[in-house]
Amino acid sequence: VREPPYPIELKPYGRALVELARRRADVLCLSGDLTRQTEVDLFQAEFGERFIHGGMAEANMMGMAGALARCGFVPFVHTFGVFATRRPYDQIANAIAYPNLPVRIIGFMPGVSTPGGPSHQATDDVALMRALPNMTVVDVADAIETRQVPALVADVPGPVYVRLKRGEIPVIFDSDHVLRLDRASVVVAGTDVALFASGMMLAAALAASRALGACGVSVSVINVPVIKPLDTATVLAAASAASVRLVVTAENHSIIGGLGSAVAETMAEAGVGCPLRRVGLRDTFAEGALDAFYLFERYGLSTAAIVETIWTALGCSGVPPSVPVVAAGGGEYSPV
Amino acid sequence: MRVMSETLDPRELALRIRLRAVRMVAPQGFGYLGQALSSAEQVAAVFGAARPGVDRIVCSPGHYIIGPFAAAAELGLVSEGDVSGYGQNGSVFEAIGTERSPVVDYTCGSLGQGLSAALGFALADRFHGSDARIFAMVSDGELEEGQVWEAALFAAHHRLDRLVVLLDANNSQVDGPVDSITTLEPIADKWSAFGWRVFDIDGHDVAGVSGALRAAGAERERPSVLVCRTSTRHGLDCLPPDADGHFIKLPPSLAAAAVSELTGKLEALRA
Repeated sequence: VREPPYPIELKPYGRALVELARRRADVLCLSGDLTRQTEVDLFQAEFGERFIHGGMAEANMMGMAGALARCGFVPFVHTFGVFATRRPYDQIANAIAYPNLPVRIIGFMPGVSTPGGPSHQATDDVALMRALPNMTVVDVADAIETRQVPALVADVPGPVYVRLKRGEIPVIFDSDHVLRLDRASVVVAGTDVALFASGMMLAAALAASRALGACGVSVSVINVPVIKPLDTATVLAAASAASVRLVVTAENHSIIGGLGSAVAETMAEAGVGCPLRRVGLRDTFAEGALDAFYLFERYGLSTAAIVETIWTALGCSGVPPSVPVVAAGGGEYSPV
Repeated sequence: MRVMSETLDPRELALRIRLRAVRMVAPQGFGYLGQALSSAEQVAAVFGAARPGVDRIVCSPGHYIIGPFAAAAELGLVSEGDVSGYGQNGSVFEAIGTERSPVVDYTCGSLGQGLSAALGFALADRFHGSDARIFAMVSDGELEEGQVWEAALFAAHHRLDRLVVLLDANNSQVDGPVDSITTLEPIADKWSAFGWRVFDIDGHDVAGVSGALRAAGAERERPSVLVCRTSTRHGLDCLPPDADGHFIKLPPSLAAAAVSELTGKLEALRA
């Protein structure tokens, strides 16, 4: 992985979807009145005949997508994650997940990455989608992973939910990093703590690992881009290593039903008796923001929050190490 | 969908759907018989109009699947033995339609979703350059679901003229008459205002329903809707006046009377 500040890319998903569509005539693109925001203005410009405006009608859009998939198409459905999951949940359950159809639901703007208030924050989307049989749930960390998503999910036999950061996408991984739907990957090896992160929290997890490492606490960082089906082998290998005294999860999502729950269930069923801390939204809606940075700090999703969680859980004495803020210039990204 | 190429007089098929539905519901002593009674002519007309292997049938309200099942049994599309398991443990002929339900191309027990599926089929056919028709059975109670109107807007905007909705306006829902719970009228004007071609017809006049389906098939600008005015008690005089149309109770004595009545009507029709 790279060191922060990270360079940024624009529209890595949108460009990758166009590339897929050039090779695959069965790829359709549906948009719920958020075409530019979900990067599929690129698709619309090149493949207008395969682009469908669903309008502000998510229930109908999901129902149509299911029927199109029954007829041999691979529909990619785009809107914000919060609208993609809460509003048409019954439609996704009955018209897509139950018949196990290859609809790809692409939800942008995960968790508290938006200042748009609780109505716009997808803070339970992973939990909702994870509860549906047949659904694959993906939460990628950076542009290198994002641009692999369209081709990677195209041939999954059943439905896939992907949550994607909107706007400026950091490049965290080296360009040869390979995203796999059946693998979590150990990004940093450590001995004392196993820290699992998904999506936007990977950058903060890496920063926390560095800060704690400087104080003699060795933290492994495991990137979990696929929450379901979870790579339980990698999770258990990391969580049950003999030297590990603490397992931590970090997700830009409620601590109920997402990555933290998935790891907890896996550990409990395997009898891994290690303490667990879940970093994420603590069963709350997130209010009062001009920007996402404020929300990440206020609601405990910052690098400092991860460091403090680990420091306290390990019973370390003294104050936790301060986290140097890496200044991000124009065209750069650093975690909160 | 599969439809037998040989045709059955739609009046006779409607009668036989009622009789078959009575026999399917009788073992449990209760069930969605009212839905079969109100939609029998619509089902008979659709099975007469849909081209085998080309056109699609959507049964939006899963509770109505008894009608297509009964028609399929009468037309020899499924075996009598299979359909006799209707509503029983382990049968694919579940009382409320599921993904395993045979006979139709789409059904769903969560109401108000079928029209969106019909739109997806229509779009897919358009992408494929096919002129296949989509026959979508929808119930008036479903009009209380917002998704139906989302779909109605979309279908008209995209001029999905191969789509025809058979709206079973039987004025029945779980809590009572639809018009005592929500004012849907003027139903025809609503669809018309949404950009649909509307046929407001007697849903128990099977020739009228078939004729409207033909006229809708000739329409090349708009999707069509047949607002079929019906009753959940139609064609079965032995039902008590207070029968709950959504979920009719059919104890053995009443079932026997119903079989007798419908058998007599069938013999009279054939005479």
